[in-house]
Amino acid sequence: MKKFFINIRYFIVPVLCSVTILGLIVGGPFVWTGAVLFLVGITIDTLVIKFHTKGAGVDENGKSYGIKELQNLVMYFMLPVFIILQVALAWRVYQYTNGADFGLVTLFGWLPVQTGITGLELYGATLSAGAFAGLGIIYGHELSHTKDIGWPISRLMMGLSGAAHFCYAHVYNHHLELAHENDPATSPRGRSLYKHFWLSHMGQSKFSYDLEREKLEKQGKSFFSLDNKWITGYIISLPTIILFVWAGGIVGVACMFFLWTVSNFELEALNYMEHFGLVREKDKPIEHRHSWDNDTAFTSWFFIEIGRQCDHHVRGETHFWELEDVGGPNPGWGYFTGFTLALVPPLWHALIKKKLDHWDNTFANDAEREIATKINKQASYA
Amino acid sequence: MFENVLNFFIKKDKHFVANVVNANKTLKVRRGEKLLTAALENGIKWPHYCRVGSCGTCRCKLLEGKIRPLTDFGYVLGAEQLKEGYILACQSILKSEIKVELNFKQKRIRRTKI
Repeated sequence: MKKFFINIRYFIVPVLCSVTILGLIVGGPFVWTGAVLFLVGITIDTLVIKFHTKGAGVDENGKSYGIKELQNLVMYFMLPVFIILQVALAWRVYQYTNGADFGLVTLFGWLPVQTGITGLELYGATLSAGAFAGLGIIYGHELSHTKDIGWPISRLMMGLSGAAHFCYAHVYNHHLELAHENDPATSPRGRSLYKHFWLSHMGQSKFSYDLEREKLEKQGKSFFSLDNKWITGYIISLPTIILFVWAGGIVGVACMFFLWTVSNFELEALNYMEHFGLVREKDKPIEHRHSWDNDTAFTSWFFIEIGRQCDHHVRGETHFWELEDVGGPNPGWGYFTGFTLALVPPLWHALIKKKLDHWDNTFANDAEREIATKINKQASYA
Repeated sequence: MFENVLNFFIKKDKHFVANVVNANKTLKVRRGEKLLTAALENGIKWPHYCRVGSCGTCRCKLLEGKIRPLTDFGYVLGAEQLKEGYILACQSILKSEIKVELNFKQKRIRRTKI
């Protein structure tokens, strides 16, 4: 039974995402379900800030309690779930733009559904869908490392948010260059989340563009080819664009961009928190100290151990349930709490500066400390 | 009960043998396991860096046998290397017994534009 409970604690997002979809279908005030659940997540994560975990753990034979087949199956299953989430939102957009009559109907003989939607409710529906579409990152990320069948599923998941380029940029750039200026996903000291959101997103897309250009040049192929994964990454997003254009024309496109903005903002917020301000010399090995661990109980279970970054970046091929606590740098808060802090840049910088001071004095080697001292002056952290 | 149901769907343990000919080392690689992972678990000091198929440090020359690549090696390896049979150990699943040649002192492959 212990193994069972360890495995099902990683199913918080699948359950809550399904509840969010249900909220979109039921309509009325329930369209806000996803946004409210996100706020509940912030509250719980902050309340349990003192409770840290050490991963899924191992049995007496040293074997992880995580069940590969079960966890993979659930991650694959999340692709249709995220598609249904978008379709449910598009249906609400369609109702809004076509002025559907307000009323109550019963679906499947038991589910009360409010037809018609107000402008405010459409905003709530888009925010809710965006909040949970953004959580597709955690599965897109994990599957981009699993490779094999997981790779195309990861690309499709990220493509739902117009971010299929992430898979290539993450594996071929971030995992080689993190904590260095050559990695757009690593935020330097002094940068706000809002600035990082844009710079990281565009930087990763640019990397993917360059990667494909070089690969195709090497292979003697045209840039405009179906072998160009940067182009096909955006083609993957076409069904979503067509769906929202069909559902609501200009309003549909506006909702889709809002959905993508929220989900990509969450993606870049994770990148922001995972390596903020950490420093590594060019070409030196990536060590545990070049990532922040975020391992509060709620963050670990909700984000399927993605917060165990220190181990992940040294053993990139390792499944999330096999990642361990390696005693790396840790700000002490979870992702929901950190995200809330980062939304207020002066507060974030005031708090993270102390954590970075500790990193400079405890974790950094001499060369990194020297680089950090220079950057601290530039970022007014000194 | 829960575990019995799951075990029914889980493939039975099976392995292939990989032989590093120039080092006279042999190792067992479980079905679905990556060559590099198995090598490191067996205490072989196989050169590696990123472990996600991006740097090329773990490349080796496949002399005999079949592998299933998990990624397109063309992002990291050159056309000549691919023609010569080079593979990335961290992204290779064995499909048969294999023989490989490995340079234990090799370094990471650099992309030209970074």
